[in-house]
Amino acid sequence: MDAIIEIDDLTHRFADGTVGLDGVTLEIEAGAFVVIAGANGSGKTTLLRHLNGLLMPTSGSVRVAGVCVQENPMQSRVLVGMVFQDADSQIVGETVRDDVAFGPENIRLDRVEIDRRVGEALSATGLMHLADKRPHFLSGGEKRRLAIAGILAMRPRVIVFDEPFANLDYPGVRQVLDQILRQHRAGCTIIVTTHDLEKVLAHADRLIFMREGRIEGDGPPPALIARAEANGVRHPRAVHFGLEALSWLN
Amino acid sequence: MAELTAFTYQPGVSILHHLDVRMKLALVAAASLISLRLDFAGIGLMALPLLAAAAGCRRSVRVPAGELRWIGLLLAFVFTARMLSTAGTPIISVLALDITREGLREGSLVCLRLVLVFLVGTLLMATTRPTEIKAGVQWFLKPLPFVPAERIGTMLGLLVRFIPVIFEEVARVSDAQRARAVENCRNPLRRAAKLGIPIMSRVFERSDHLALAMAARCYSEHRTQPALRAVLKDWVLFCLCCGWLAVMLAV
Repeated sequence: MDAIIEIDDLTHRFADGTVGLDGVTLEIEAGAFVVIAGANGSGKTTLLRHLNGLLMPTSGSVRVAGVCVQENPMQSRVLVGMVFQDADSQIVGETVRDDVAFGPENIRLDRVEIDRRVGEALSATGLMHLADKRPHFLSGGEKRRLAIAGILAMRPRVIVFDEPFANLDYPGVRQVLDQILRQHRAGCTIIVTTHDLEKVLAHADRLIFMREGRIEGDGPPPALIARAEANGVRHPRAVHFGLEALSWLN
Repeated sequence: MAELTAFTYQPGVSILHHLDVRMKLALVAAASLISLRLDFAGIGLMALPLLAAAAGCRRSVRVPAGELRWIGLLLAFVFTARMLSTAGTPIISVLALDITREGLREGSLVCLRLVLVFLVGTLLMATTRPTEIKAGVQWFLKPLPFVPAERIGTMLGLLVRFIPVIFEEVARVSDAQRARAVENCRNPLRRAAKLGIPIMSRVFERSDHLALAMAARCYSEHRTQPALRAVLKDWVLFCLCCGWLAVMLAV
């Protein structure tokens, strides 16, 4: 399959001189389900923010579906939807419906098309019955689903999830995981960053370890999982007992 | 932070929710200006329909009253300044400062006018989406030459969006400090400093996150605006309100 994301020798240095990314080269195929794992500060979030131009490279390049992110960040933001770690800070609308409409309004779709997309995104995430509620009254899992709905309404080809299970209870994790898998089945390329492989590894077809801004391992999860703890990530429990990683949805 | 409601939109189906935002903005501006001329009786008369409107949109009037504590400091300052600076018949003299009967009257009147403006403002905010307020302001500014209507509308929209964020952070930091017995510190200046610094830090941090999330969803000044439409029902209500304001002005 063709690569939808092409990252070439990407380096990012922050204003204080800290190296966030150090010569990262990566290709991700369309339709893949990739998990990027690593300890806090390993560069996972910094890498994700280069995919839609929220951060710009110090050197190197990022292309999404052939579009150079540095040259056209707005187009890359339509192609790459990003679900942030803190769903609260992603909510900008006064109601659930307004929040989902925020992205389509920004890309200047007409009102009829906006309403259609909002309806589809709310149905897909099971939030239609909450459309006129204030987002601050939603549960953690519902807020995360709202963030996903806001992204879906922009019809991205790639969805990146930054620590999607952080601060969620068990039902919340299952709701969000279910949404991620639905979008993958619908044909989206999925990239999930986490330092908790337990919840998502069973569904990934590629695992990437990051440490100190560099790629430390890249391959199918069964071949790479033994190196998890060396990269500051806890083994899934099943792997401890010599089993395959188990899905949280079963 | 769901309890902080005075500055946030409350979804609803009341007549105020459906009223065209341009009419709401015009009425708010007119009511605020007219309130500057009202005496005690006028303020009472003006407050009655506003409280009825608040009840009509199923909005508890106790909520903004409770949140008045946030502007309590401002009201106390205005009241004190008026009380001490208005000439008239002295009631008490303290350290060469006269508290006059007229000063007390003037201070009370100004504070009640401010409360009235606050009530009008909260009704607007509670029944209107920030995007509609932004679109309404832009509509009024558009005919003016050399005025960047879209930029001003965007700034206003962001300001409206950030007011509840700031209140949320104030409440959060205040709770955290109370949990560590900040009440034992009697010095108000020290308490204000201890509260102010973490609030500023948190607000800037939240602003950064929000700005990043908005950028990730392609935020720009040029967006699809909400459709502004005035129907017959809007015009009827608008004319009734204008009539009421004219009566207030005449009285």
